[in-house]
Amino acid sequence: MSDSPGIDRRAFVKSAVAIGGAAALSACLDRGPSIDVPRGPEEPSATFPERQHAWNAALPTTDAGNNHHPRHRVLLALDYGDGTPTDAERETVEAALAGVERAYERSAAGLLLTISYSPYYFDRFDDDLPESVDLPEPTALSSFEDPDADAVDAIVHLASDHGEVVMGAEEALKGELGELNGVSQPEAALTDVFSLAERRTGFVGDGLPAENQDVDGVPDDDPVPEDAPLYMGFESAFDGNQPTEDRVTIQQGPFAGGTTQQLSTLTLNLTQWYEQDTRDQRVSKMFCPHHAQNDVVEGAGGNLGSDTRMDDCGDPMETARREGVVGHSQKMVDVREDDTPIILRRDFDSTDRDHAGLHFLSLQRTITDFVTTREAMNGDQIDSDSAVGQRTNNGILQYINTVRRGNFLVPPRSLRALPPADPRATAAENAEVANA
Amino acid sequence: MRKRSRRAFLAGVGATGVGGLAGCLGFELESSSLEPSLVENRPDAVYVPTHTEGMAMGEMGSDGGYSCALTYSYPHRFWTVTGSDTTQVEVGSDDALHLMPVVWHSETGVIPSDVSPRVDVTRDGESVVDGLNPWPMLAQQMGYHFGDNIELPEAGEYTVTVSVGAGGERRTGPLADTAAAEFEFTLDYQPSELRDLPFEDIAEARQGTLGAAEPMQMDMVPTMQAPTADDLPGTVRGTTESGDAQFVVTTLDDATRFGGKEGQQYVAVSPRTPYNRFPLPQMSLSATLSRDGETRFDGYLNEWLGPDLGIHYGAVVEGVAAGDEFTITVDSPPQISRHEGYETAFLGMPDTTLTL
Repeated sequence: MSDSPGIDRRAFVKSAVAIGGAAALSACLDRGPSIDVPRGPEEPSATFPERQHAWNAALPTTDAGNNHHPRHRVLLALDYGDGTPTDAERETVEAALAGVERAYERSAAGLLLTISYSPYYFDRFDDDLPESVDLPEPTALSSFEDPDADAVDAIVHLASDHGEVVMGAEEALKGELGELNGVSQPEAALTDVFSLAERRTGFVGDGLPAENQDVDGVPDDDPVPEDAPLYMGFESAFDGNQPTEDRVTIQQGPFAGGTTQQLSTLTLNLTQWYEQDTRDQRVSKMFCPHHAQNDVVEGAGGNLGSDTRMDDCGDPMETARREGVVGHSQKMVDVREDDTPIILRRDFDSTDRDHAGLHFLSLQRTITDFVTTREAMNGDQIDSDSAVGQRTNNGILQYINTVRRGNFLVPPRSLRALPPADPRATAAENAEVANA
Repeated sequence: MRKRSRRAFLAGVGATGVGGLAGCLGFELESSSLEPSLVENRPDAVYVPTHTEGMAMGEMGSDGGYSCALTYSYPHRFWTVTGSDTTQVEVGSDDALHLMPVVWHSETGVIPSDVSPRVDVTRDGESVVDGLNPWPMLAQQMGYHFGDNIELPEAGEYTVTVSVGAGGERRTGPLADTAAAEFEFTLDYQPSELRDLPFEDIAEARQGTLGAAEPMQMDMVPTMQAPTADDLPGTVRGTTESGDAQFVVTTLDDATRFGGKEGQQYVAVSPRTPYNRFPLPQMSLSATLSRDGETRFDGYLNEWLGPDLGIHYGAVVEGVAAGDEFTITVDSPPQISRHEGYETAFLGMPDTTLTL
């Protein structure tokens, strides 16, 4: 098997994304046949949707009826520095982003991207964000976490099924490439305006966690199942567990068409999960005890199709009282609206800092929607009123630590380049200047 | 915070400690074969285990109203609990030691059962153990504590950080006044010193019989035991049993501390292990109180922490009279991991009734 150039190449690509840089990209491109990704349109803004986060239509549907999630990810954490942006800087950012969009088609096989901005970025403006945008500074969301604030100004999220694409886009955005996928790139680079504070990388999808399990936080005996899309061994992005993009989109005000992005850096400690729990315990804690007792979940849970059958799990408090354990998914049922969650998950695993982790990236109309969801996951009332502990047997809280939380606004595409805090006020000022 | 020699803290050393050590000559810490085979035909009750172990105590600190002592011993087997099922955890080939951060409320000495300490271990700034949440556990020598076997790459000094949250809402008196706390310790891991800890085989004839190894007394660390029935506040109504656990029931005339109104009473149930009197947290308990066949209370007994009652379960009731029938239902047994000698007890726990 190791003689197969295909396997070698795949293995190389996934670690190359984590390493990053022009050298890794070029080594990647030098190895074996180049990938064949269609180019994007000449004028992306003419055809691309106003919602940056409208990815679903560009994602294939899996056999089970779930949205396929792009397998390779890079998050570029950017600092703007002091002062307020100029129009020239806005043009630079827009030109750089449009450059990579012209290089790759907007799809999972090509490139999907968003750029988002933190409350710390918007602090620099005299105006406040409009009331239609709920974007507080991040805070700890349980009594037992003490996360750092993700205080960078902006996050660029690059996603593709091809590691070479996210790496290539990253290098182009940094102004390192004159040509990308045969498409000449603008002089403009994101790094002309921002400094790169941190690059974060990751992956999601069948096989990738198993291929990347030689990291701290995962026991040495390769326990992650070959077919698992995430380190914990189970599918999670069931279609029935995802709201529509409409539900997470800001409906009113100047940022209508945008969304908020919550980004947590979670570290995983899976020694207990894989070495001290049985599969039944893992199914109980991830889904619910009913699913463990009735063998509802096969393997990573692909047999569930697009529906985790939470109706069969029963009331979480009742389960906690009677079974001494409550499932993670089961706890989240109560925060559903019309039987659908209110946050859209686009999270992925990571080997950043050589530790098994999860970049939990979710989109929601308001950060409050995320807080509500996270509070359900904490299960405070269940902990208080049953044998379930603060972490023990309380879903998957035993195995996860939140080390950083960040909140961001993903503006609509037309405002994606260094938006002002209140575009209406800015527009009014510009009109005054024009009329003067 | 001061450092004391590990030797000074050796505890649980019996008269035959040296003999026990002799039996360990040549054993390798890496080897899980250190532990004798489990007793055959273990009873569904608390039983005398195959051996006892010494414990080493590292540094101690105080923060946020809590105190914490970093203690450790050999890596050893234990059982995780989910519902009524236990899963035996064997010692891993790379496990270095069994780490136990003992956290207590500084003023009252109560070990809080509503917070879950987190452990991070670093060496020269590099992460060694990241975000470990040790299991809540019950051991015959230690009582209720948090612990897990951990891997350390080699001998040397490590920095161990223990973080604890502020605490839950079901606390009374000074226990309610705590803040999130963080403790940083230096742990000097020397396998040779760990090997010097006592490891004592228990006579084969005693292994597996009903009974328990003696609790340790630890300098500076408060007793892990629940109050004796005589020391409990209120009117102690008696003791009943289920699943080998003892439930001491007392009633307090003032329920206001527990969310009750003037004139209401508080029924407190203090479950503990037999022999060693260790409290049993993380159960789902409910109860009925009836008088002359009429049910006067039917609801949860919620877990509370109090300075005098310690870890207990209770409910506010309208009134208690002598002769009332008080039935305790264990909806879930203690969801705490078990050390040897406790893994077969406190699992099947039928209803139990006490006439007050």
